[in-house]
Amino acid sequence: MATKDRSYKAEKVIERLGKKLNRQVVGSLVGCVHCGMCTEACHYVLANPGDPTFAPAYKGDQLRKLFKRHYDWTGRVFPWWVKAKSVHTDEELEELKDIIFGKCTNCRRCSINCPMGVDLATFNRMARGLLVSVGIMPEGVAVVSKDQWEIGNQMGVLKEDYLETLEWMEEELQSEFEDDPSMTIPVDKEDADVVYSINPREVKYDPRTIADAAKIFNLAGENWTMPSEGWDMTNFGLFSGDDDLGGSVARRLYEKVIDLRGKKLVISECGHGYRSTRCEGPNWGQMDVPFVMESSVITMLNYIKEGRIKVDKTVNNESVTFHDSCNNARSCGLFEEPRELLNLVVTDFREMYPNRSENYCCTGGGGAMSMSEYTPHRLKSGKVKAEQLKATGAKYVVTSCHNCVDGLTDLIRHYKLDMKVTQLVNLVSEALVLPEKKVTIPEAAEAGLLAGKKILVVDDEPDIRIFFTSVFEDNGATVFEAADGDEAIEMARKEKPDLITLDLNMPGKDGGQVFEFLRKDDELSEVPVCIVTGRPELRRLIYDRPVRPPEGYLDKPVDEETLIRNSRKILELA
Amino acid sequence: MSESLHFAEHTLQEMALVFMGIVYILRVRWFLSFKAGKERQAATGSSNTTPKKGILYSWVNIAMPWAMESTRSKPFMYIQFIIFHLGVVAAIGHSFIVPYAKGLAASANYVLILQIFTGAAFLVGVLRLIRRFGDKYMRAISTPDDYFSLILLTVWFFCAFLAAPHNLVDGETVELTFFWMTAFFLIYVPFSKISHYLYYPFTRFYFGKSMGHRGVYPMQRGK
Repeated sequence: MATKDRSYKAEKVIERLGKKLNRQVVGSLVGCVHCGMCTEACHYVLANPGDPTFAPAYKGDQLRKLFKRHYDWTGRVFPWWVKAKSVHTDEELEELKDIIFGKCTNCRRCSINCPMGVDLATFNRMARGLLVSVGIMPEGVAVVSKDQWEIGNQMGVLKEDYLETLEWMEEELQSEFEDDPSMTIPVDKEDADVVYSINPREVKYDPRTIADAAKIFNLAGENWTMPSEGWDMTNFGLFSGDDDLGGSVARRLYEKVIDLRGKKLVISECGHGYRSTRCEGPNWGQMDVPFVMESSVITMLNYIKEGRIKVDKTVNNESVTFHDSCNNARSCGLFEEPRELLNLVVTDFREMYPNRSENYCCTGGGGAMSMSEYTPHRLKSGKVKAEQLKATGAKYVVTSCHNCVDGLTDLIRHYKLDMKVTQLVNLVSEALVLPEKKVTIPEAAEAGLLAGKKILVVDDEPDIRIFFTSVFEDNGATVFEAADGDEAIEMARKEKPDLITLDLNMPGKDGGQVFEFLRKDDELSEVPVCIVTGRPELRRLIYDRPVRPPEGYLDKPVDEETLIRNSRKILELA
Repeated sequence: MSESLHFAEHTLQEMALVFMGIVYILRVRWFLSFKAGKERQAATGSSNTTPKKGILYSWVNIAMPWAMESTRSKPFMYIQFIIFHLGVVAAIGHSFIVPYAKGLAASANYVLILQIFTGAAFLVGVLRLIRRFGDKYMRAISTPDDYFSLILLTVWFFCAFLAAPHNLVDGETVELTFFWMTAFFLIYVPFSKISHYLYYPFTRFYFGKSMGHRGVYPMQRGK
């Protein structure tokens, strides 16, 4: 119950803070001496000179003052002396929200630079959990958490869509490896040696990584499977600070592996997924996990070392650098294996500095990609990372994390870097030496793959329109172009295309509005739409609309192969 | 030696120490009343990293300025840290040596070494005050306790510097000030940020244990 001078939510936050305190957190709350040594460890500080509100110690103090006022003796008796302060209103909690969600990605870089061992990231996460428990959080966090609670994965992928994607990828594999019955994606196979779990982003935006992983498992002769449920190894509980959600998601995954009598859970390349599933999950879920868990990076490395797959690194001859995900490197010690694997599959690997546990955050961590209200902060704070990337001179940045893929892609575009992002699974797949009987379809056979189809390309960037148009036309399609929303609607009505590729961020009527209009239009509602966006955080705007979701998504930059493959899939030609 | 100086050197110090000890015991009990979070996950990272190694590395981390970027990139700050804390040790040591080992306190070398330590620590204290008052970031995170603790220590170093010769011929004012300040310091410490050294072993223990278990400590830096 709210007291006279304190709101109900503020009352609950104070009460729940007491229940959340453990020795590690209390140590970090009382241990800070305000020495300021952590200040320059934070990418937010470096990119926002002169603004002390980004300093880790300052951010930490926003929770620390609450702790001191209610749980520490000096602060209870002489609050002004140690700047102890309580919260009274929901507005104050909202201000706290903007700091702990909007000014920190929980990357833990300040923690490893604190002489006292103060782990700001850990209690910042705890503070997030306190606010979430009273319903104060960025909208994106609420939406994603809801999806993970209710649908079982953080992107709201329905079971039938997931299974359909697996089937689609299996068909792709079988078309690549003619007449090879071993090229499958087994689902719910019992007693498998490997149960493979993925990030829903792979289903939605990057199914190629599933096919690449499947190719590797099959060529290695692995006895593997993917679960039909509990397949999402990501866990938004890590970002929202909600241990109940964290535990529930982790248990869902563990219990499915136990159900299938799987011997090992392999976690696809995802920093927060790896940390949540491999490290934090058993704690949140209060469960001793009876099987082995491993990152797919280690699995792939072992396949090569054991001679189960062969690779030819000369295939990947572009310059490559590696970005260490904070969750992998700074919280799970996973930094040497990716480098070892990279050196086996690329010819020109260039180290980024600083690296490993000292690497800078991609700025997309801590759930930042789902909090569009903080995007300007995020992109500005990415200056440090952009400079790191640029200094390598590499053409590709490899990372073992899907958040980092999105975060880095955004930064590369924002800072106009000549670089692409990829993952190890893609490079290993590219470098695979295939058995002779397994031949790929000659490229020539792919000509005319979209013959007879009418496609409307909607994008305000002329370069994108030109690229899409030439790719589609080369494959036999008739293409129409529109540079803004109004033109897109007019063109769609006029030409009745078989497929519309739709950019989201456009002047005037944006992609979201166009999409909703198309879906509600009697004549155009059945036209398949593929969203093509350079701002992944905007995808949420599409999902929030009260209409049927789009048939496909693509992240810019899009390569030719992906564009054709996805378009064929949407048009049900694949 | 006057009665009042004898009291300040002995009884007052003993009372202050007992008080500090009692408060510290209460403080540690309070800290230990919180549950330690249990870790269920299997170890990650290199097999060279273990919780034990992580704890050890975490504890001695402060003596390895190369280990953290924050200390590696600011050698002057690190040197200041060392001098400041050596000054604390020297001044506290002096408060024990004067009453219990007067012979040593009378040695010229002892006086010289003590004055070097406390004098240097005083200068560092001044530099730290300038930084805390002058730096925008430091002001934003500083509390009245931070300012007061630093001023207290800086003045105390100065008193220790003056009291080092233990020359009572010209009066006892300097000695009396030093010992009364020491007593105040001992009583004030448990309620201030200066008590950070009490928490240091615990905070570092848990952080090191976790980071060792997860393959991060001992840290590996890329070439």
